[in-house]
Amino acid sequence: MSAFTTTAWLGLDDDSLTACVACGLCLSHCPTFRLTGDERMSPRGRIALMRAVQTGGVACDDEWYNSMETCIQCRGCEAACPAGVPFGELISGTRAAISEARPLPLHLRLGLWGLTRPRLLLLGSRFLAMLQRIRVLPRVPFLPRQLPLSGSRLPRRSEGDVVLFTGCVMDVWQPEVHDACETVIAATGSTVVRSGPGTGCCGALHEHAGLHDSAREMAEHVIASLPGEQEILVDSAGCGAALKAYGHLLGTAEAVAFSDRVLDIHEWLAEHDDSLPQVPVADRPGVIVQDPCHLRHVQGAHGAVRQVLGHCSEVVELNDDGLCCGAGGSYSLLQPEMAGAARDRKVALIREVSALSGANIVVSANPGCSMHLATAGVEVRHPVQVVAEMLTSADGVNGGATDGR
Amino acid sequence: MVHEMPAGTDDLVADLVAALGIDRVVAGGGARHLYGRDGSIIEGGHSGPICFPDSTDQVADCVRVAVDHGRAFVPRGAGTGLSGGAVPCNDPVVIATTRMNQIHEVDTERRIAWVGPGVVNLDLTRHLAGTGLHFAPDPSSQQACTIGGNTANNSGGPHCLAYGVTSAHVAAIEVVLSDASIVVLGEEVGDAVGYDLRGAFVGGEGTLGIATRIAVRLTPDPPVVKTLLLDFQSIVDAAETVTGIIAAGIVPAALEIMDQKAIHAVEKFVNAGYPLDAAAVLIVELDGLPGGVAREVEIVEQVGADNRVGTVRVAADDAERELIWKGRKNAFGAIAHIKPGYYLHDTVVPRTRLAEVVAKVNAAVERHDLIVINVFHAGDGNLHPLLVFDPREPGTLERVHAAGEEIVRISIEAGGVLSGEHGIGLEKRGYMPLLFSPDDLAAQRALRDAFDPHGIANPLKVLPTSASCGDVMGLPEVPEGVWV
Repeated sequence: MSAFTTTAWLGLDDDSLTACVACGLCLSHCPTFRLTGDERMSPRGRIALMRAVQTGGVACDDEWYNSMETCIQCRGCEAACPAGVPFGELISGTRAAISEARPLPLHLRLGLWGLTRPRLLLLGSRFLAMLQRIRVLPRVPFLPRQLPLSGSRLPRRSEGDVVLFTGCVMDVWQPEVHDACETVIAATGSTVVRSGPGTGCCGALHEHAGLHDSAREMAEHVIASLPGEQEILVDSAGCGAALKAYGHLLGTAEAVAFSDRVLDIHEWLAEHDDSLPQVPVADRPGVIVQDPCHLRHVQGAHGAVRQVLGHCSEVVELNDDGLCCGAGGSYSLLQPEMAGAARDRKVALIREVSALSGANIVVSANPGCSMHLATAGVEVRHPVQVVAEMLTSADGVNGGATDGR
Repeated sequence: MVHEMPAGTDDLVADLVAALGIDRVVAGGGARHLYGRDGSIIEGGHSGPICFPDSTDQVADCVRVAVDHGRAFVPRGAGTGLSGGAVPCNDPVVIATTRMNQIHEVDTERRIAWVGPGVVNLDLTRHLAGTGLHFAPDPSSQQACTIGGNTANNSGGPHCLAYGVTSAHVAAIEVVLSDASIVVLGEEVGDAVGYDLRGAFVGGEGTLGIATRIAVRLTPDPPVVKTLLLDFQSIVDAAETVTGIIAAGIVPAALEIMDQKAIHAVEKFVNAGYPLDAAAVLIVELDGLPGGVAREVEIVEQVGADNRVGTVRVAADDAERELIWKGRKNAFGAIAHIKPGYYLHDTVVPRTRLAEVVAKVNAAVERHDLIVINVFHAGDGNLHPLLVFDPREPGTLERVHAAGEEIVRISIEAGGVLSGEHGIGLEKRGYMPLLFSPDDLAAQRALRDAFDPHGIANPLKVLPTSASCGDVMGLPEVPEGVWV
């Protein structure tokens, strides 16, 4: 049936596998099941297939691999599961176990390696940006239309009240989001220091791809580069979820203590929202919120996003329980067809909701989601960018937002 | 693990692919493994090829090819059923309706919507947001289950006490019969002229054909909703309060009881604010016009006081209402943290005998050394004893089935019936003679034969038979001729 018929013992936790009672409540929360209606593309089906290999002695074939490799790892099923099955752990364990039998394509391995070299990434991106300017670079779907020529500002060496985690790709391609966060944090009266290229990449994409050893090394590096007690604020949902999981990934007291310091930027702002811009209801723009999976299903921070946006905009919901847009880190490169179909479904919903509500600003707090949706022509901003803009315009209206109102 | 398919399967698959296209037929071992079971605890079904039609004509093609090859067919929606109704026996063609998930037409004036059978229950209500209408049947699996599955099982839910089960909300159905012909049963408007074949079809569990388009009735959202939480020091007092409320002439939108074990399990994970020292809580939901609801709240408080209620908490706002319901709706999940397996049972007893039957059920289950938790639709006497166990412990499943059989016997001896809303499927077909005489069963068999003379539509479900279903194990079989 297939070139790969080696029986793999997946090394998954038996209790976690058994915890699934096959009730099927996860099905409608799974983007790949929604698109195909096929149980092999569902959490319940994937767990049953993992079980068949781990305890039933069934050999892995192409059908089996395809089921595991099409999972976006959005973890929407985990939030919906009444039995609390840790699906994220099961699928990431499975990916790690099969990573040798099913190596990633070379270009992706190169890309993931590149993320571990932030300064190289910055140089490479600037080179591409120059090629773009002189129009010799063909259009690459996932690259921003106009790559920035300069990266985010270098970290100030002075101490700040909080640290802004700047990551890898985002620091290079979306430095304006970091700038907006800095502006809004400053408006609350706090000082902020950026983690910068010395800290580098969080390793989330490596973990998703089953490259556990790389992910652990990167986690250790990030922890070592950010000593101290300050809270660490993250404006990328995928990175935030990864940093919060370091305690689990490394299993050391130091890593647990580090993860305890990590907050999504919105969680922190929701606690410091007295000084955020208060815009009169009539002047609030409609903002459609697309929740990144790792913000909503993993961190549960989607409430904070709404609280922060609620002061200056009218939040418009997509009402799809945060169904994944198909980005999934490197998923859109590995499974372009499924990723494209999930994106098209999301884009159709965004357009429908936009037409009904009149809202035409779309926000999402994850670079992967915004870049993925941009490939379908939807301009997506970060929620904090909207707040920063309202802050600037509110300055003129209410005489400054930092006056403690 | 995956069994070999019988001879001729390759030709069957080739013909299905020729009729439907390569993208709509799967026959791999992994897929057949997954489609061998549904949401029930019944394992060991044997699936043949699985088809994913996206139109009525394609469903008819599936049935035609199955007939040509002498194979049976089994319809399947989301596979969340709890009685094994979608578990395939002896390698049938499985017809999954998940891609027939279009909402074809919504007529808010006439309050009718035509939907595909694969539309998820909650998706329809979400789609109706802003129209002031909703689809009333709300089984606990409504976030995942399909309207086709609701139709096949005549599904209920907490709010069916006042609004009625699925049959009351299905006006007409387009059906593919077992000879691949396409018919429409029922009328969009008014009652059926002549025999109500729509009524016969709803609850047919796929043994009478496959629904391919369903005209559902839409229910206006109530102007006012009040949710109350009453706690009691005994489950008898809670049950007496239920009887008292109905006797006072009120039909609440929902009346739900949870026992002490359920309260403790839920509070640990949901923090819904249920009192931990109570032996039972009763959730009462009242809806209607503001004046009427206010008066009903007073009556419920009075009936509660007459039955030694501890406190009566009236939810102040939607957030508190949702919290009270969150506890109820997550009860099964919270319970799954106690042990990894559960068997959710479903019988109905006369409302006046609820407390007595619950006590007997608890004693019987505990005799089998299992944990039992009660969460039930008290208003219509629909018991849901939940048996919690670890399937990895040897001999457990046998004890679970033995306890399940006792629950059925206790319920029927109290004047009850086999199932409130989960259906008969494979789970309870062996118990049918407990409730029906041979003549009753023969009449039901005649109805089924009229729809499906060759017995190829979801065979071996609902009616008792001596034929076996694949490797399905441990299902109770009641000796022929036994009638209680």
